[in-house]
Amino acid sequence: MGALTDKYCIVGVGETPHMRPSNRTTLSMACEAITKALADAGLKPGDVDGMTSYQAGDSTTSPHVATALGMRLNYAVDILGGGSSGEALVANAIGLIEAGYCETMVIFRSMNGRSGRRMGGQTPGGPIPVANAEGDAQFNLGWGWTTPAQRFGMSAMRYLRDTGCTTKAFAEIAVAHRYHATLNPKAIHRSPITIEDHQRSRWIVKPFRLLDCCQETDVSVAIIVTSRERAYDLRHPPVFIMGGYARTLTDSPQWNYSRESLHYVAGNYGWKRSFGMAGISHKDVDFVSCYDAFTFTTLIQLEANGFCGRGEAGEFVKGGRLQIDHELPSNLSGGHLSEGYTHGVQMVIENVRQLRHRADDACPGWAEGKHTYDRKAGCRQLRKADICYGMGWGWENMASCLVLRGMAA
Amino acid sequence: MPGPIDYTKLRILPDFDTVEWWAGTRERKYLVRQCKACGHKWFPPIFPACAKCTSMDAGWFETAGKGTIYSYVVVVQPIVGAFIGAVPYVVAIIELDDCKEADGRVTRVAGVMLNEESEVAIGLPCEVVYEETNDPKIVMPRWKINGAAADVWRFTE
Repeated sequence: MGALTDKYCIVGVGETPHMRPSNRTTLSMACEAITKALADAGLKPGDVDGMTSYQAGDSTTSPHVATALGMRLNYAVDILGGGSSGEALVANAIGLIEAGYCETMVIFRSMNGRSGRRMGGQTPGGPIPVANAEGDAQFNLGWGWTTPAQRFGMSAMRYLRDTGCTTKAFAEIAVAHRYHATLNPKAIHRSPITIEDHQRSRWIVKPFRLLDCCQETDVSVAIIVTSRERAYDLRHPPVFIMGGYARTLTDSPQWNYSRESLHYVAGNYGWKRSFGMAGISHKDVDFVSCYDAFTFTTLIQLEANGFCGRGEAGEFVKGGRLQIDHELPSNLSGGHLSEGYTHGVQMVIENVRQLRHRADDACPGWAEGKHTYDRKAGCRQLRKADICYGMGWGWENMASCLVLRGMAA
Repeated sequence: MPGPIDYTKLRILPDFDTVEWWAGTRERKYLVRQCKACGHKWFPPIFPACAKCTSMDAGWFETAGKGTIYSYVVVVQPIVGAFIGAVPYVVAIIELDDCKEADGRVTRVAGVMLNEESEVAIGLPCEVVYEETNDPKIVMPRWKINGAAADVWRFTE
């Protein structure tokens, strides 16, 4: 067990709708997500004294939000980062509160990820008209190899070669996460898909098809972290932070392809730490979340975190294993593939709601924790949701993890 | 052969650490960084120090520009305007034949293949060729298959 295991809790979550386009500023969206998270926690703006966010030069900052919402902060730091930063900032929050820098902290991400700066670097209207290749980009963009899909495709291709896995395993993930989105009124894509739909979808960059890729959206997300003592006084049952790892890196992480195996990803270096800190083993995990920028990133994170052996993930995900009511449900909101794209924070939000037993689904009594478990009627609450293992991904060489538990565990 | 790359839509901006590398391609030399202290080689040259011994006395090693394909992708939907006319094109990661070190490390580079997708496979040998651009300061390396191999793997979906 870690020294601070279960001492800190997530007490509030909130988000804007997934929009394309938002026609709003990132500051406006951040204010909405944060006020919703405050209301969810039963807190007033003056109750929060720490704020942190991550961005890629594409968003507002904590001082802007604090000014807009009339908050006086004791701690406000905004970092550069992408996927896997949300979980890492939760880890930071624990340390900062423990050390006395602040008492209650909000973490946000706000991005016009569809209508503004897209993660692949393309303009909202299509390909980059004239591209400047400087720094790292001289040696990737310079040869037409730049987007996350193009980049991760290299390790995916080598994985297929090394393991005998086929893209039908990718399809299993697309189908599972889409099924969960059919149970989520907030999701962008809510029509079920089949393995065949995946296999027939058009190529983006081989080995990835359209249905291997996430749905970029304009959105803001926020979560609030505070101590266990404060958490018990708030609106919802607390969700306890058991452990994790934070932006763990492989060797040679930055645009260097000479590591021994491109698909031996960063999670391999983190999972013993997160399980050890949480004091649990794989069999204790009721459900997972995976940073599903692509189907393959889910596949390789499960393997990297020891849910199956090396090279076995393709077999592991077969037969709907990742779907609700099966062995290891993954991304119950639909994830990046089907709900929308938040740079990872929506997974934490959904996991919190599941662990509270308050998934915001079609059940009339969801806000009081009353669920029917009738999937045909749109219920997406797990029957047993005590412990969740959440996996964040920056790229192959950077990963985070957040192990959470609800009151029942 | 894939269609042409429109280099007028791609501005390569060499920096203090890479200007000599681009000078190398102008002379049809494929360079990788090499540590003058311990001999370790690396790529890309944006990194100014040797990751094996931390020496910052970095020189250059002129490779023969020959290697083996380690992995590849086939770009079907173009994202960079310069490559709109080139799709579908193959980008490969290549293990350089003369950059294998005693401890098992091998320097890998990447680049655009001159071959069609159907000709490319993991395990095949290839060599560098040079392509002039509209910018006289920038000569682009490309790669072409230059032989056969026994153990190859191709994505056939």
